[in-house]
Amino acid sequence: MIARLTRHPAVVPIGAVVLAILIGAVIILLAGLNPIDAYAAVLQGSLDPRNLDYTFAVWGFICGMGLVAAIPLRMGEFNLGGNGQLVLGGITAYVVASQLGLPGIVAVPLALIAAMIVSGGFAAVSAPLATRFGIPIIISTLLLSPVAVAVASYLVRFPLAEKGSGNAQTPVLPEDAHIWSLGDLRYTSVGLLLIIAVMVIFYVVDSRSAVGFELRVTGANRRFGEYAGLKPGRLALGAMGSAGAVAGLVGAIIVLSSPYRFIDGALISPGYTFAGLAAALLAGGRPALVPVTAILFTILQVGGASMERTAEVPRQLSDVLQGVVIVILALRVVLDARRAGAGKDS
Amino acid sequence: MSTAAVELRGISKRFDAVVANDGIDLVLARGTVHAVMGENGAGKSTLMSILFGLVRPDSGEIIVEGEARSFSSPLDAIAAGLGMVHQHFRLFDSMTVAENVVFGAEPTRGGRIDRAAAAARVLDLAERYGLDTDPQARVGDLSAGARQRVEILKALHRDARILILDEPTAVLTPSEVTSLFTVVRRAAEAGTTVVLVTHKIQEVLDVSSEVTVLRDGRVSGRFVTAETTSAELVRAMTGREVEIVANPGTGSLGDTVLEVEGVSVAEARVERVSNVSLSVRRGEIVGIAGVSGNGQHDLVAAILGTTAVSAGRIRLGGDDVTGAPVAARRAAGLAVIPEDRRGEGSAVTMSITENLSLGHHRQPPIGRPNGFGRGWMSLAGARRRASEQISSYDIRTSGEKQPVGSLSGGNAQKVVIARELSFEAPLLIAEQPTQGVDVGAIEAIHGRLLDYRASGRGILLVSHEISELLALADRVLVMFAGEIVAEFDRTQASAERIGAAMAGAAAAAGEEWTA
Repeated sequence: MIARLTRHPAVVPIGAVVLAILIGAVIILLAGLNPIDAYAAVLQGSLDPRNLDYTFAVWGFICGMGLVAAIPLRMGEFNLGGNGQLVLGGITAYVVASQLGLPGIVAVPLALIAAMIVSGGFAAVSAPLATRFGIPIIISTLLLSPVAVAVASYLVRFPLAEKGSGNAQTPVLPEDAHIWSLGDLRYTSVGLLLIIAVMVIFYVVDSRSAVGFELRVTGANRRFGEYAGLKPGRLALGAMGSAGAVAGLVGAIIVLSSPYRFIDGALISPGYTFAGLAAALLAGGRPALVPVTAILFTILQVGGASMERTAEVPRQLSDVLQGVVIVILALRVVLDARRAGAGKDS
Repeated sequence: MSTAAVELRGISKRFDAVVANDGIDLVLARGTVHAVMGENGAGKSTLMSILFGLVRPDSGEIIVEGEARSFSSPLDAIAAGLGMVHQHFRLFDSMTVAENVVFGAEPTRGGRIDRAAAAARVLDLAERYGLDTDPQARVGDLSAGARQRVEILKALHRDARILILDEPTAVLTPSEVTSLFTVVRRAAEAGTTVVLVTHKIQEVLDVSSEVTVLRDGRVSGRFVTAETTSAELVRAMTGREVEIVANPGTGSLGDTVLEVEGVSVAEARVERVSNVSLSVRRGEIVGIAGVSGNGQHDLVAAILGTTAVSAGRIRLGGDDVTGAPVAARRAAGLAVIPEDRRGEGSAVTMSITENLSLGHHRQPPIGRPNGFGRGWMSLAGARRRASEQISSYDIRTSGEKQPVGSLSGGNAQKVVIARELSFEAPLLIAEQPTQGVDVGAIEAIHGRLLDYRASGRGILLVSHEISELLALADRVLVMFAGEIVAEFDRTQASAERIGAAMAGAAAAAGEEWTA
């Protein structure tokens, strides 16, 4: 009975989280601080009703970047280039919204769509690199990402720079090109609804469509898919293109939201990409679980700042916990492989 | 000290919901050849893994030479005097025979491996047990039979008094089998206890002195070989008598559905298939015989399109598909039951429904073919279709959502067969269609294949089992070293002639076991 309980698919992910929290507590204790105070501050900071607006906005971004990792993960591929795809979307959205002089009703949707196309196209490059040249997607996404980040950084420092400002940032977008807010909320905008819509679409495509089924088959056993006539190269193109498009959408939403400009480094430094990756791994790529696991990383992310303020625990502890969760999940892959080897009876 | 070399008492082991071993008692008398038989999934491999310390039992006792033991790894088992020759060899291809044999227990001189002593040790053991071998040969250059001799020498070098052979004949030519059994008998005469794990009845009758039969994780029969019959063993394995399906003979032949013309397949400059030509017509089953690894699988992969050909042409129903992708070939009328069920024929983590649906998922009743619904699937349709196939193919399962990996081998094979037959393609390639399937289900599968032929379709049947080819095929081609070396019509084919062709070239190349 116990053996059966420990094999439940939820045991390892939940265990990983519990273990991470315990390890975090030990680290805080070793630093001579009080872990209960620290964790209380994390919860308080993130779930305080006055902060919920911000918390929801962050949850949306982590969910979005969760999809960026989860979509390719369905077919067993790792997209580690979320940062580049995110930044490229952000800079594209800024250019479209600011330079074309269009009215807001056209400029905002056009900026979002352009960002999705550019980031989607950029991410999709990794698919032919894998199929034609044998460069694994996990490698090419990781290596291409800093290139995109550097290009955006150049654009914001020189051609698009705000004149007279010491910061590497663009001027503020015209008011017309701000993304529509929800009532008088400051952070949460129509962007959150778009991300939720994309999550629903991913769920439906994953569970009900032929392409979603083919992705899952390829992820479960690539040789089985090839034998049945599926084309992993084409599936990878679609999965990477969609993942990149979602990253572009998130980047565009961030730039079109307060403070309504592209600031060099501002899209990357909050760590949405790797929080999203961790949420996707914790969810095992399952579309319905990504928003749930994203809650955890949102709380860590948002609450980290207030933990630093009130309990004097550096916010980097959030990153440590995130890292511990990923390591434990990676261990599971190894252990599963061993168990499969031992249990085989042919 | 008791006379038993090994005594297993009440061994039980379960994997998730599957009870692999359920209170098994096994006594191995010293210096005997004891056959452990049973169908795939009966629990033989698990029991042997437990005896060799690879798997820990949930309960039960292991008593080796009168002493209760608890093995936490194979090293403990080796120290207790056990040796195991696995079905899949565990050797270093780039090292010599002598190096492989002494690995883990090397004779040393001044802290360095004493190569001369190692070679002498190998020759000494080889002579004592009649195992012909060259200590200086590189293992990677050896045939399957020769590698198996290296595995046996490895166990003997570690002073194994109890030798477990797991399906040892699966990779051997008939003449190699004969020589292996000579070695086995000689080892038993010298006092070694040999455990022969197999599902082949003839081998059990030929070489063993006692038999323990497993079924569904329990002991279903214990016999003294000299006092039993094959019918009795089959009954213990299956729980009932088995009728051999008789080949009802050829009907009328129709159009050619497969034409292979001078096809060669090369992999890393090694030619796996050389200039093979064959054709299959509607209403015909063409058999391909051969010891595993003689290019049959590469030929199938070339026809399916998962491997590129280096020369030749392939036509399916008149369409030249030589360079075409897999999907186009399947669309042209091809279905394949692959040899590697877990690696190629199924996704073990996915449900039975999903496994049955792949390839059918864009057609009704699963796919919605036209208009607005195009590209979407009906999950209800997939479930309905799956439950129909589960009942018509008698797949034993707790439900259509059960992952294929948790089914027994035979039931997983039925899932593959159900999916592929339901394409109703003009050409079916069936590679080892009954491997890992219990004797009862073999009948059912053979019946299905004969019905498939009777419905006016063609089958290319690749099998290692000569009896299967004789029961089903209208013509039998024999492959050896990538070439077709013989062809027999149904009327000329016999086990002896096919077996000789399968082995003939091997003997000529001097790879024969010499006792």
